[in-house]
Amino acid sequence: MSFDEAMRLTEILLGFAFAQQSIEHFNSFAKEQRLFIPRFFLALLLIAGVQADWVLLLLFLLGLVQLYYFQGPYNGGSDRMSLLILSCLCLAEWAPGVFWRELAFGYLAVQLVFSYFFSGWVKIINPEWRSGRALRDVFLFSVYPVSESLRLWSTSPRILFVAAWGVMLFELIFPLGLLMQCSLMIALVVAASFHLANACLFGLNRFFWIWLAAYPSLLWFQQRFVSALT
Amino acid sequence: MLRTLKFLLPALVPSWRFFDVIAPSPRIQFVWSESRADNIEHVSWREFRPPPAHISLIGMLGHLFWNPRRNETLYLVSCAERLLQGYTRHSEDEILRRIARELAAQTGYLQFRLLLVKRVGDSLQHTVAFHSRIQVLPMRDGL
Repeated sequence: MSFDEAMRLTEILLGFAFAQQSIEHFNSFAKEQRLFIPRFFLALLLIAGVQADWVLLLLFLLGLVQLYYFQGPYNGGSDRMSLLILSCLCLAEWAPGVFWRELAFGYLAVQLVFSYFFSGWVKIINPEWRSGRALRDVFLFSVYPVSESLRLWSTSPRILFVAAWGVMLFELIFPLGLLMQCSLMIALVVAASFHLANACLFGLNRFFWIWLAAYPSLLWFQQRFVSALT
Repeated sequence: MLRTLKFLLPALVPSWRFFDVIAPSPRIQFVWSESRADNIEHVSWREFRPPPAHISLIGMLGHLFWNPRRNETLYLVSCAERLLQGYTRHSEDEILRRIARELAAQTGYLQFRLLLVKRVGDSLQHTVAFHSRIQVLPMRDGL
């Protein structure tokens, strides 16, 4: 995937994710609507590819206003990833030369790899994750399960032990996916399935869409740097 | 401005520590009384937006595209966590006004509390960790 293709695909996916997020605020308080209705239309312009550089800049400024309005991110990690992608795209659009443009976009790809690897690392060094206890606690008493019936999963420790190790090992070995294009494709499909499961079980739909938006950067990065080395 | 940049920094240099520790989990409970004479202290606490008993697979997949209520609930959990780390008027206001909107209460008195749920051994322990102010309704929209 070329740099321009990856940038364009990221813009389209980011535009879709922002439009989806924004629509969810249309029935909220008046001040919130004043933030999210313009964001929705800017997202549509981003999808259409109209003046992407200016649209990205306006979306970034609107992102800062939202941070102030909510005194932090509205939805934790997904909002942080939204801002990271937005910042990297903005820099890549406005940077003066190819080197700086690639550096900005490459930073996004590297952070995407870190998002999996470090999430796996902080889990595997915790004995409660290694024993499966932590995942049982997620289902037992955390706010995340979307329904009471899902809490019953906490009574299946063997299944959750296997699931916990599956998640940790996948997150830790994710960087190895970069070695070949086909292994990266497999890693991204597994990762997307993981986010889909989180969206269904924990209601984290925004994570699903926003992490997908960062994938083109990694497809480009693998081809541009890793393939060249191997 | 400086505060906003402080919020932006963790997005630009993220730590990516998802679910590293399963911390005690806050639940929001509230009481609403139409008149002060009812004495808000004698009204029983109700959980704000308890999760449904069951959601079908189709329902879960539908939430991929439309999930405002759930995302707002997660935002309120963030506000609750911020309150527990150190009082902020903004977080207290956000929780109060979103409960008030849900109740569609025109007048009365509203208060919420945060219940911390954690596992101790094999059982769950519930501890009241915060009481909000008693808010006269209606509240102003917007901050």
